[in-house]
Amino acid sequence: MADGQEEGVKTMREETIIQKILEKAPYAEGKVRRERRIEFKIPAERIRDFLMLLKEKDFESMMQITVVDWPNDGEYELVYQMWSYTHAVHAFVKTRIPRDLDKARMPTVRDIYPVAETYERDAHDFFGVYFEGNDKMEMPWILDDTEQGLFPYRKDFDWIGYVKKKYKILDRFDEDKDNYVI
Amino acid sequence: MVDWRLFEPLFNYARKKSMWIVAFCTGCGGIEMPPLMTSRYDLERFGMMPNPAPRMADLFLITGYVTPKTLKRIIITYEMQPDPKYVMAHGSCPLNGGPYWDSYNAIKHLDKYIPVDVVIAGCMPRPEAVMDGINKMMEMIENGTADGWKRYKENYEWYKKNQDELFGEGWREREARRWLPWLMDKKKE
Repeated sequence: MADGQEEGVKTMREETIIQKILEKAPYAEGKVRRERRIEFKIPAERIRDFLMLLKEKDFESMMQITVVDWPNDGEYELVYQMWSYTHAVHAFVKTRIPRDLDKARMPTVRDIYPVAETYERDAHDFFGVYFEGNDKMEMPWILDDTEQGLFPYRKDFDWIGYVKKKYKILDRFDEDKDNYVI
Repeated sequence: MVDWRLFEPLFNYARKKSMWIVAFCTGCGGIEMPPLMTSRYDLERFGMMPNPAPRMADLFLITGYVTPKTLKRIIITYEMQPDPKYVMAHGSCPLNGGPYWDSYNAIKHLDKYIPVDVVIAGCMPRPEAVMDGINKMMEMIENGTADGWKRYKENYEWYKKNQDELFGEGWREREARRWLPWLMDKKKE
């Protein structure tokens, strides 16, 4: 890490971008993580307004929607990763929603960024986040019929137990041992 | 009625020298095929070539890990091939799961679902190892020990039992019907 003065000079461009965006979106909070990488935290219900604003401010493409599971807080963290070709800046847009399957709902951003359809279906398949307004939510995506509704990427999914039940192997496997031969 | 058994050595020689591969790459092993096909390890000198149609192929290369979804396609493709057909499993994943030994979505023993003639160990096996496997396969074809297709016919009940345990009864029809409502997309964007 360089000292603060040099950092400030390096990230001047990023700070002006954040300033411009936060003028129009007072509900958000933004910070510079490092050179060419910025981060916003917003409430979940304002996601559509914020992404429309980002699209006006030359963030042309969405790279991914990732879901981070925080079982201790009882929350999912959704990270919308945006890339701007104009400024060459990578922006994280972070928002938190409750983790319970009936409450994990988000408004879709498919009409703003068409590519979001794929990532939303992916998040729905593996984590159980339901995106309202995306009419392809019920369409099968990656998982098979037997795994539909299990949401295998959640932290409380019994991974080893499911493998033992499905493939009928690992019956001598014990997780407490350090060395074992299967 | 001609007794063709006299010509069996000739047929075996011809089969050995003209193994066509199904161009069906599962998992990561597909990336190992271009070096095999190009000029350094030229597969063409053994008379092997990738073929997009399973009806014309003899050799089925399982390249890399197999998920249950892929296994359905693999079984259907394998049953499409005309006899005699040979299977070569490529890498440690079809053997015993490899690095995916505890994954919920990877097949651990491919042997339980379709018969395998030659298994190449490694993750990923280098092209030299694959060439060694191909040599072994040729030897086995010549002395008649590559009999996976016969085993599949004789023990079909056992293979079918294992497949049905994994997928549930009637999985072929279900898989065919599953996508029909979605193929007709009414909202064209």
